[in-house]
Amino acid sequence: MDVKEELKSEIDGKTINYCFSCGMCTGGCPSARLNEKYNPRRILHRAVIEGKIEDDIWLCTNCYTCQERCPTKTKVADIISLMRRIYVKEKGIPEFIKPLVANLEACGFTATIGELENKRRERMGLPPVKMNDEIRKIIEKTGGGVK
Amino acid sequence: MKNKYAYFIGCTIPFRASNYDLATKKVAEKLGIELVDLPDAGCCGLYFELMNEMTYLSMAARVLSMAEEKKLDLLVLCNGCNGSLYRANKKLKENPELKDGVNKVLAEVGREYKGTIEVKHLIRVLYEDVGIERIKKKITNPLTNVKAAAHYGCHLLKPSEEIRFDDPRNPVSLDRLIEVTGAKSVDYYDKSQCCGGYVLAADAKTAYRMTGEKLTHVKAAGSDIMITGCPFCNVMYDANQKAAETETGQTYKIPVLHYPQLLALAMGVDPKELGFEQNRVRPDMKLFVKGL
Repeated sequence: MDVKEELKSEIDGKTINYCFSCGMCTGGCPSARLNEKYNPRRILHRAVIEGKIEDDIWLCTNCYTCQERCPTKTKVADIISLMRRIYVKEKGIPEFIKPLVANLEACGFTATIGELENKRRERMGLPPVKMNDEIRKIIEKTGGGVK
Repeated sequence: MKNKYAYFIGCTIPFRASNYDLATKKVAEKLGIELVDLPDAGCCGLYFELMNEMTYLSMAARVLSMAEEKKLDLLVLCNGCNGSLYRANKKLKENPELKDGVNKVLAEVGREYKGTIEVKHLIRVLYEDVGIERIKKKITNPLTNVKAAAHYGCHLLKPSEEIRFDDPRNPVSLDRLIEVTGAKSVDYYDKSQCCGGYVLAADAKTAYRMTGEKLTHVKAAGSDIMITGCPFCNVMYDANQKAAETETGQTYKIPVLHYPQLLALAMGVDPKELGFEQNRVRPDMKLFVKGL
């Protein structure tokens, strides 16, 4: 699969054509500042030149600073989100997200809402939250679960 | 003015920040706003935005359909839910084919998305729908001794091309909402920075360093407290403050309040009714209540 072609099949993904690798995205990126493994300019460049996606895409904080700064209006953050979807389609859901998906399938929340949480809510005079199985059904129907 | 909303609390709030829910209800009561609970709602679909578009849009549309059934706009408390639901709603309204696809999925759970309501974050409702002037009339306990640092977070304002609220580079809404309580909103370095919450699961070290950097700047600005409008940002700065301290080797001890906790105090609500037992770094109530 050619990542660039896959990206260009989406409206936001097509904007990768605008990128001229100026590095404004990386210059403002909070994750890049603290972690040399992460560099959005390199991620976009690699997709265009080598047609590749690597694990570093999961270090994006999704803060949109890059996208707001981009002088060519390349949708940098949206492109990295699209890359994550392509990654999941190819390699499956990353280990660190699997527990969240399991919780969603079990109760409809990303965390396990148990007796403790609802007892606290009762003490505060708040209504309890209820588990639901509709989200499990949606995940099944759309093929979003762990394969 | 609108005074009734469908009310969505998502996942983080019932799990870790019911105090935010509680304080919002106290504030809504003071302002004469009716909030209609959606106890069956569950998750907004945020994580699937990164993994599978159809799962994401269907989960979001399911929540949106619950507000549509009540013929009410949807008030959300979490920046993550705001980004996820606001953008899904916009995308589905603009793409009839996607909407049809989503409705085929929702038919499985007996629901239908129509595209008839709007999604609004609490901060946006207070700033745009209620307005500073109307809030000002309800302030009975001006918090003139308090210096507070506003943290906007990301998905309240961005992507600005879609969300179109306030100015993402130089936002003022939360600062004005802090100042109407009588508190001083202090400026600090790198104010629009992200909390790091989104990378917590993938790389906790980077996330906590990001959290710690901001706490360092807030402390350097001499702020008494920090104010958030997102439960997950709050988790990062409050519940995970110790982890951030371990990462940066500094000590912060900065209480982090959900915005409606601050507003409710200024409206004279008893601190005992605002769930402060769930704030990990406890604020000194003498800051807010005279004669304690």
